[in-house]
Amino acid sequence: MADKILEICHLSKAFGDHQVLRDIDFSVSKGDVTSIIGASGSGKSTLLRCINLLETPTGGQILYHGRDVTAHGVNAARYRSHVGMVFQSFNLFNNMTVLENCVVGQVKVLKKTKAEAIESAKQYLNQVGMGPYVNARPRQISGGQKQRVAIARALAMKPEVLLFDEPTSALDPEMVGEVLDVMKTLAAQGMTMLVVTHEMAFARDVSSRVVYMNGGVIWEEGPPEQLFGEPRKPETRDFLSRFRKA
Amino acid sequence: MDKLIALVQDVGLLWSEYHVMYLNGVKNTLILALVATAIGFLIGMVCGILNTIPYTDRDPAPRRIALKLLRALIRIYVEVFRGTPMVLQAVFICYGLPYFTDKALAFTGNSGIWLCSILVVSINTGAYMAESVRGGIISVDPGQTEGAKAIGMTHVQTMVSVIMPQALRNIIPQIGNNYIINLKDSSVMFIISFTEFFAAHRYIVGVNNMYFPSAAIEMLGYLTMTLAASFLLRLLERAMDGADSYELVQEDALTMTAGTYNHPDRRTPFDERSKEVREREKQKLKFGRNRGER
Repeated sequence: MADKILEICHLSKAFGDHQVLRDIDFSVSKGDVTSIIGASGSGKSTLLRCINLLETPTGGQILYHGRDVTAHGVNAARYRSHVGMVFQSFNLFNNMTVLENCVVGQVKVLKKTKAEAIESAKQYLNQVGMGPYVNARPRQISGGQKQRVAIARALAMKPEVLLFDEPTSALDPEMVGEVLDVMKTLAAQGMTMLVVTHEMAFARDVSSRVVYMNGGVIWEEGPPEQLFGEPRKPETRDFLSRFRKA
Repeated sequence: MDKLIALVQDVGLLWSEYHVMYLNGVKNTLILALVATAIGFLIGMVCGILNTIPYTDRDPAPRRIALKLLRALIRIYVEVFRGTPMVLQAVFICYGLPYFTDKALAFTGNSGIWLCSILVVSINTGAYMAESVRGGIISVDPGQTEGAKAIGMTHVQTMVSVIMPQALRNIIPQIGNNYIINLKDSSVMFIISFTEFFAAHRYIVGVNNMYFPSAAIEMLGYLTMTLAASFLLRLLERAMDGADSYELVQEDALTMTAGTYNHPDRRTPFDERSKEVREREKQKLKFGRNRGER
């Protein structure tokens, strides 16, 4: 295995008395495409949000290249700039155009010059097929287009890992494909990705590893052929069979 | 009908005699309202921004205590100046300051009255604006903050680039509200002998007892000022919303037309604007309805 970018050790998260994540252990290596599947409320999204420190874990560690980022005094903003995130609800900046959305982070966080930032923003927008829309505002484009812009915005920060939090769940069915296509291309280019998804076909065909979460723990994990082909645990089988029927 | 004609004649009479005084009052009212609303808005911005600095239990204790103290102080300021009449605040500050400083600090002469008036109306407006700005900041979708955090922006960067521009757009109706209220309510500054529009009325009727015709002039004058203010604010809002259409950038030089995409008409079944925008519209309606409440 190549070098580990992220190692999650005994991670737990509780909201008050409600224990959402218990003793999560897993790691992300360069080039991995990991899909996290599981029923609603199983803690998938919370796990992703903990990894990006949008939620503060209540226990355990997150090691980024061996350094614990949950420790006091760690510059969370700088860490986040290395770990990109794509949200279910896109979260594009409504007060900016498509281009500005992809420029602002590069200028403010990476301290690039505006010209450089615009150059690379255009390049990434072209990559996701949104090149012609640089002057549009988020309210003027469709959900699928917004999500592609959001991916370009994350890519423009040149992250080591990209986290996807149910990137297609808020989309109309006919728009899911365009976003998944972009994600497949990224995976093929060797981008390290961690994807929370309900798109089983994507998990099966694109990812190098699938994690099934149930009740706040990692119930089963493995390569997609094994997890989809011959799941070891009955709960995993149940979950997958429910999806097959649907 | 006779009475109406008589009224018009009286108004004409008053106007030809005293229009310099009325117009001077209008000028002073406009300046006071504009300056005080601007300063009050700045006070409100500072308070609102300080009030919404986030902190968690993991932050070091001094930072948490300082932020809690700050919030308490702003709370007291807001409650005191929102909870007492402006006319009393004017008296209290204008006569209280020399009283406590043994007349070392006093508002004397014309400039003193101006200073005191601007001070009182600004502080009063600031108390209302503090809450408006806080509301404006809170009403911006939390997803915007998360989006900014996720690309590594700090709290300050997020506020400057993402949150405040959206919050400001949301509170423009409130700024307009306060400006219009100040246009009218600055009339209580006659109490410290500030010569605004209403003070002109008081002086003129004191001379000739023509209460009703003078009041008619005042009504028309105030209404003209507030309507003009409303109109200008609408223009500003529309300018801030930007164009409804955008140019597609064509990379292919052989393509004949660079088509313009028109956004579907508002308030039609084809209006596909995002949920946030619709939410904002709703809020604007709500603000409008609360107008009288201040």
